[in-house]
Amino acid sequence: MAAITDRQRLAYANAQAADGRVNLEFETDEGMTLNMGPQHPATHGTLRIVVKLDGEQVLSCEPVMGYMHRGYEKLTEVRTYPQVTTLINRIDWLGSFANEVPFILAAERLMEIEAPPRAQWIRTALFELSRIANISLFVGDMALHIGAMTAAFYAFRDREFVLNQIEAATGGRFHPNFDRIGGLKDDLPKGWIADTKAAMERIRDFCDEMEILVEGNEIFEARTRGIGVIPAEVAMQFGLTGANLRASGVDWDLRRDEPVGLAWNEVDWNVITHPDGDSFARFWVRLQEIRESTRIVDQLLDGLPAGPYMAKVPRIIKVPEGEAWVATENPLGEMGYYVVSQGGLGPFRVKIRTASFNNVSVVPWVCRGVYVPDVITILASLYFILGDIDR
Amino acid sequence: MGLVESGKLPKPLTSLLNTSRKYSIWIFQWGLACCAIEMGAALGSPRYDVMRLGVIPLPASPRQADLVCFSGTVTDKMVPSIRRLYDQMPDPKYVISMGSCANCGGPYWDSYSVTKGVDQIVPVDVYVPGCPPRPEALLEGIVLLQERIGKEDMAERWRGEPIVVS
Amino acid sequence: MSSPEAPATEEAEAPVTDEVREEVLAELREDLGDAIVGTHIVPGQDLWVRVTKDAWQQAGFALRDGAGFKMFEFVSAIDWLPSPWGKSEDSPTDEVVETEPAEIVTGYAGGDTRFQVFARAHSQTRKMGVTLKVDVPEDDFSLPTWIPVFAGANWHERETREMFGIDFVGHPHLVNIYLPGEFEGHPLRKDFPLLARHVKPWPGIVDIEPMPGDESEEGEEG
Repeated sequence: MAAITDRQRLAYANAQAADGRVNLEFETDEGMTLNMGPQHPATHGTLRIVVKLDGEQVLSCEPVMGYMHRGYEKLTEVRTYPQVTTLINRIDWLGSFANEVPFILAAERLMEIEAPPRAQWIRTALFELSRIANISLFVGDMALHIGAMTAAFYAFRDREFVLNQIEAATGGRFHPNFDRIGGLKDDLPKGWIADTKAAMERIRDFCDEMEILVEGNEIFEARTRGIGVIPAEVAMQFGLTGANLRASGVDWDLRRDEPVGLAWNEVDWNVITHPDGDSFARFWVRLQEIRESTRIVDQLLDGLPAGPYMAKVPRIIKVPEGEAWVATENPLGEMGYYVVSQGGLGPFRVKIRTASFNNVSVVPWVCRGVYVPDVITILASLYFILGDIDR
Repeated sequence: MGLVESGKLPKPLTSLLNTSRKYSIWIFQWGLACCAIEMGAALGSPRYDVMRLGVIPLPASPRQADLVCFSGTVTDKMVPSIRRLYDQMPDPKYVISMGSCANCGGPYWDSYSVTKGVDQIVPVDVYVPGCPPRPEALLEGIVLLQERIGKEDMAERWRGEPIVVS
Repeated sequence: MSSPEAPATEEAEAPVTDEVREEVLAELREDLGDAIVGTHIVPGQDLWVRVTKDAWQQAGFALRDGAGFKMFEFVSAIDWLPSPWGKSEDSPTDEVVETEPAEIVTGYAGGDTRFQVFARAHSQTRKMGVTLKVDVPEDDFSLPTWIPVFAGANWHERETREMFGIDFVGHPHLVNIYLPGEFEGHPLRKDFPLLARHVKPWPGIVDIEPMPGDESEEGEEG
């Protein structure tokens, strides 16, 4: 090609200078500061992590969030209850349906409405489907961060079958917005149950495949075993929930212990725990949880009660005064909504307690003293979604 | 190849260059929010397989990319980084804005921290609507962009002038 | 969920009593004594305890060590001021008018100030949670930090400081967590305006979705 123009040369020089400022700063006394993110392949989403290094070892590490802060808590104050569910779908965008459920349950609790059993069972089934869609991507993602790309392709491939089922039932591939105060928008379509069971069969095969492909891999074990150990005490202090807590050996699952009206306790399944608390344990627990979820879905669909899918609710939803807290075990951990109502069409204040915010707050603690590549595996194994941290 | 700079490029050569350009787009994936997963499905999943369109995903850096896809909510805090990385891309460069948030703010149209549209920061070639758009929608956006590249006068683009495509 | 909700009085006098939560409340009373200024129980659902500002940290310790609520959930705050902008629920053609501030109505367990901080902890042995509340007067807009109680309170307090402006005394790194440094104001305060809404009224006001099972609308909506 011909000689570069001045304009291009200038752009190049500017870019070089900008890169130098962003990515590396050398400091004399406190080691080297390395900046990962906000757009970094290893921090799925726009998390930025400032790591202080001594050679390869991490002295301290500080996550910088806010690149995805969209102001949910403020926006809920200026929306009506049905509008809020549209919005909160997008908090944890991989398991959207699971985000709606606790909010709807909180509103139902304040209104003293109870959804009919069929609605609760379908809710539970869709909840578990979104968990599978969420965590199957995690399995591929975790392997991707270790350096194995194939698993991610497999995860995307098999996840599509679950998304198809969610789409068939709700109309939304990603953000269903299917839950209503008092029940569901619609009943299940014809033939959905058989198709879903076939998809569950496929997901079980996917789990087997992943166990052979990833879990038994020597490199994977070397990168994750004994790395990023979080003891149970620390996990509780930081409010870690979900698989991160169970991987530290705490036998705690809100699905079993506080099912808040949903149908988990009607079927037979196990809470998976692992005593190690390291990155491998977190991966292992999640992989097993997909299997348990497929079992839950199968059983729920077998025993689905007949009846209406919607309770009688007023046409215009006004929630009486009061405060309610409802939390459920979402794919990422415990997600809860503290809804304060003052009797209007919309909530007065909604405090959204998301799992990832607490889960990631342990990063500065757990990353001290590890090596740089381990930061990536620890972050991947803690499994966060930026929308869930920043809200 | 002083022809390109001189602006006197013969028509057959233009179309040859454009055809080769449009089927070898390196796409830099700027995944921001929900749409990033759908973009990931389009770029990385066997079902959608963006490579059959001649688009190569996952370049190592924006400096190797021809096309950047902004998928997701752009926040005010993110804006400087977006501008900076856009500036690092070599010309000719193209931008796809994917999803309602990147197009106009979407469901966060009244939020205090969201930028209402990535087109306030960088020029956008193709808008893909949806919340989030399905992977097929992104593929269509890419096809539209390729049509556009095919019709371009390369000499104009090379000089950095704003392009007008019929 | 079947039990009727308790009347919003200071003390729980619900028709259905909740022994488990009463027991927790008794334990907390033993530890904190007069520091508890308000309580509320919704039987079978939840327990609210309001403590004085001085006893905020002590209440945390009592909750964690005395009552066994070892699992941290969140710390946040609430601004009880009724929004001066309304809820933007009026007809889209109406102008947004600034009305006289209505009277502040506080929620469960009462309150005397505009701002309240509330926090929640969970017990895995008792299988229940407790919401603690504390008043934060505007002339002394600070609160002792909860980091010694629960390490996870660190980020939550940063968030609360950013969103409401409440200062947490003893916090090691109280800087913005979400918003860029030059951002002015505290977004979650009720008097913080959403400017986009003032420029353009909310287009979705008239839209109230027909419910499934609603006879008049049956079959029309897909």
